[in-house]
Amino acid sequence: MNKANVALIAVVLAMTLSCQKIDRTKPPETKDLPAFKLPSLYETELANGLRVVLVEDKRFPLVTLRLTFEAGSKYDPKDLPGLAEAAASLLTEGTGDRPSKQIAEELADIGGSIRAAAGPDGFTIQGNVLSENLPKFFDLLADVTMHASFPQDEVQLYKKRRTQELLAERSEAAFWADEKIASVVFGPHPYARLNPTPESIARLDRGLLASFHGSRLVPNNAVLILLGAIPPRMETLELIRSRLGPWQKKDAEPSPAPEFPGSVRKIVLVDRPGSVQADIRMGHIAVDRSHEDYFPLLVANTILGGGASSRMFMNIREKQGFAYDAHSRLQPRKNGGLFAAVTQVRNEVLEPALKSMEEEMKRLVDEPVPSGELADVKNYLSGNFVMGLETQGGLATQLSTVKLMGLPDTYLETYTARIRAVQPAQIQAVAAKYFSPQTASIVVVGDASKIRSTLEKFGGVTVEKAQ
Amino acid sequence: MLAASDIQIPFEKYTLKNGMRVILAPDNSVPVVTVYVIYGVGARSEEKGRTGFAHLFEHMMFQGSANVPKGQHFKFVESNGGNLNGSTHSDFTDYFQVLPSNKLAVGLWLESDRMRSLAITEENLANQKEAVKQERRLSFDNQPYATAIVDHWPQISFQNWQNSHSLIGSFEDLEAATVADVARFFKTYYAPNNAVLVLSGDIKSGEAKKLVETYFGDIPSQPQPKHPDLSEPETVKPRSEVYKDPLAQVPGVVIGFPGPARRSPDFYALAMLDVLLTGGDSSRFQQNLVKGKQSVIQYEANLGWPFASFRDYKEPGHYAMFLLYNPVFKGAEVVQHAQQELEKIQNQGVDERELNRVKTYFRASTVAQLQSSLSRASRLGQYELFDGDPGLINTEMASFLAVTADQIQAVARKYLVPERRFVLDIVPAPKTEKPKK
Repeated sequence: MNKANVALIAVVLAMTLSCQKIDRTKPPETKDLPAFKLPSLYETELANGLRVVLVEDKRFPLVTLRLTFEAGSKYDPKDLPGLAEAAASLLTEGTGDRPSKQIAEELADIGGSIRAAAGPDGFTIQGNVLSENLPKFFDLLADVTMHASFPQDEVQLYKKRRTQELLAERSEAAFWADEKIASVVFGPHPYARLNPTPESIARLDRGLLASFHGSRLVPNNAVLILLGAIPPRMETLELIRSRLGPWQKKDAEPSPAPEFPGSVRKIVLVDRPGSVQADIRMGHIAVDRSHEDYFPLLVANTILGGGASSRMFMNIREKQGFAYDAHSRLQPRKNGGLFAAVTQVRNEVLEPALKSMEEEMKRLVDEPVPSGELADVKNYLSGNFVMGLETQGGLATQLSTVKLMGLPDTYLETYTARIRAVQPAQIQAVAAKYFSPQTASIVVVGDASKIRSTLEKFGGVTVEKAQ
Repeated sequence: MLAASDIQIPFEKYTLKNGMRVILAPDNSVPVVTVYVIYGVGARSEEKGRTGFAHLFEHMMFQGSANVPKGQHFKFVESNGGNLNGSTHSDFTDYFQVLPSNKLAVGLWLESDRMRSLAITEENLANQKEAVKQERRLSFDNQPYATAIVDHWPQISFQNWQNSHSLIGSFEDLEAATVADVARFFKTYYAPNNAVLVLSGDIKSGEAKKLVETYFGDIPSQPQPKHPDLSEPETVKPRSEVYKDPLAQVPGVVIGFPGPARRSPDFYALAMLDVLLTGGDSSRFQQNLVKGKQSVIQYEANLGWPFASFRDYKEPGHYAMFLLYNPVFKGAEVVQHAQQELEKIQNQGVDERELNRVKTYFRASTVAQLQSSLSRASRLGQYELFDGDPGLINTEMASFLAVTADQIQAVARKYLVPERRFVLDIVPAPKTEKPKK
């Protein structure tokens, strides 16, 4: 570029800049949130039943993997809560060919990582690697997936460590509050169990872990999502076939049928002598993501207790100063889900705090949400959703949820549109179903000798011990 | 195939007439934008009697400005689907909004309004003094290890008051802060010529430049602030102390050694040495101390720990680590275990295979972190503020990958020896006992 051009551009630029007059007293007007265009997916199935999803994204020389099985904690035997979690933690701690240290070193050698985690519904192997080392990554992935051996010394080390962690967790009131609200809401369904027990950890051994591995981690029970700077499609598929093709198909048991208790208010007080605080959960059975109530309920929950502008936060924390934390959560599962409003208050204000929670829940039933508030919450949810898609890991996690939960392929692309479509009347309708004080249960963890009589004002109370 | 070291983050840098530096880093693949502002002031700029001031001031930045009513900053960002935060560091303070990209102007409006016209009032100050005290009670005074690490460790490991005073500050000093102090601090340090603005993500360069000029162009500049003398004495006297912590259930020990100058050859060698010791499951600490000796339960380590990482390390600082340890061991034994790992490097060096592993691990984690617009923005802003060269986001990888095994052995011998070592053993105390001051 020659000098004259530079000067000319400078003049034009100066003119356009000086033309900009703005009104600083108001936030700037902006256009609508842009629609999100999902990168295109290629889907296929191997002969052994393994479903494969490929997504190309060449911006960074990385590849991200999710290998998701329907093998979450809901399948744990009754006397073995924590089995799936233990298998996940130990999956990369040794195979027939490779001891734990060798797996760690070979992964670091290729700039890769592989770890597994178990949730209520799913068991997911997560991985990532520098794209140049993808073939070697699949060697290691195939080895841990097909041949994890759960070595004796690693199992012992895990049991010791997990027992210590559990003891520390059990000293927290929140642990008992979360456990108890799940058990009250989900009743006999295995979703009621969130954590292992010292006894179930003691019972773990190689045989149980190997049998979990052999029966549940099978190709026809899994979806493999590979996302990032992957080689051309045929080459990638050939790589996957060569490593995971020999993996044997096997029938997996069907998932437990939803069998949730009826919605009747229960009030449980978990006694924790000496507590100066009461840790509160007000909870209700909710719905899965494909249910027609899901999006209105998601919006309703966010108005009630999502983020620092929510009604619970503004009322319980900002206005009344009862608590530092006041929020609500919606946790959809493959079947049903859990709604819970959460706060921790000092014993003296337990009654007004519970009343405020009930009032906020009832207000969503009785009054239509004002349009400004509704628009803000819709922006909040849509913005957060789009932001979660910036990284390969963020998009891969969303895709694996869609596959695990059996949601339609359009789920992610239509997400923000479905948020935007929610109407005030729908919010009132779902609030009546899921936020009603008649049917929402209450769990409080605290000193029973101090707070029992207060709690009895809300109905019949069952007192339990923290154990 | 593209090698990870070849990654290039495109960016453009220019300076407004008032001296504010601007960096634009477009990537239009996802409709998200980060607005990041970094100011060249941190806790080490504080004066005696005003500890905790930089952090108190950071709180004031969310209390409203001429056109943004009190308490509305959060609401404007949240209701537009974004998130935000600010944080105070030793040598800088930064603020960000991550927004859907159609809301770029909202982020610029908010940041420019508080840079131009922060609401510094008695009411806001009184209110934020309370908020900071509450934060201190919850996040420090009520958390195991926090008081020992934040208040006590700097006193052991530094001698110059600028470096050793508490970053979170004392209640007495917070109380003493006046509106005039706050106004002076604002004028001195929160001037456009002491700031870098970074926009990264879904932006169009021309449009972004116009908006930046519109919102920030006429904020007046101020005289360039002076920087305090941070130098530490040349000779290092080793120290070892025990802190009784009534909130700790499990003992932990802090070990640190004074480190080299930022971006010197020794700096790169120590950063690689840290990855070798503590990076990932194959690291020596994980394999030899957590699994082998089972003396360490959890660990963290870094150049600049606890207030920085090697990315925003600025001398004087330490290569320091924090090891939570198995109570059947004594603190001195755990220190010995860690020192033995350092001695192995000093005596036997590092083989090429392990060095290559460490470099590959480093490359992969660095590239992975660049995926979010916020981490690209903070990296660019910090490189500009510290080094005057945001291009390091693309070129600095080569300096890390050029480190040799000999250099790692040499820095282990030069820096990581007991004669230059500071130790703070944090042990559980009975609940009734007051923390030892």
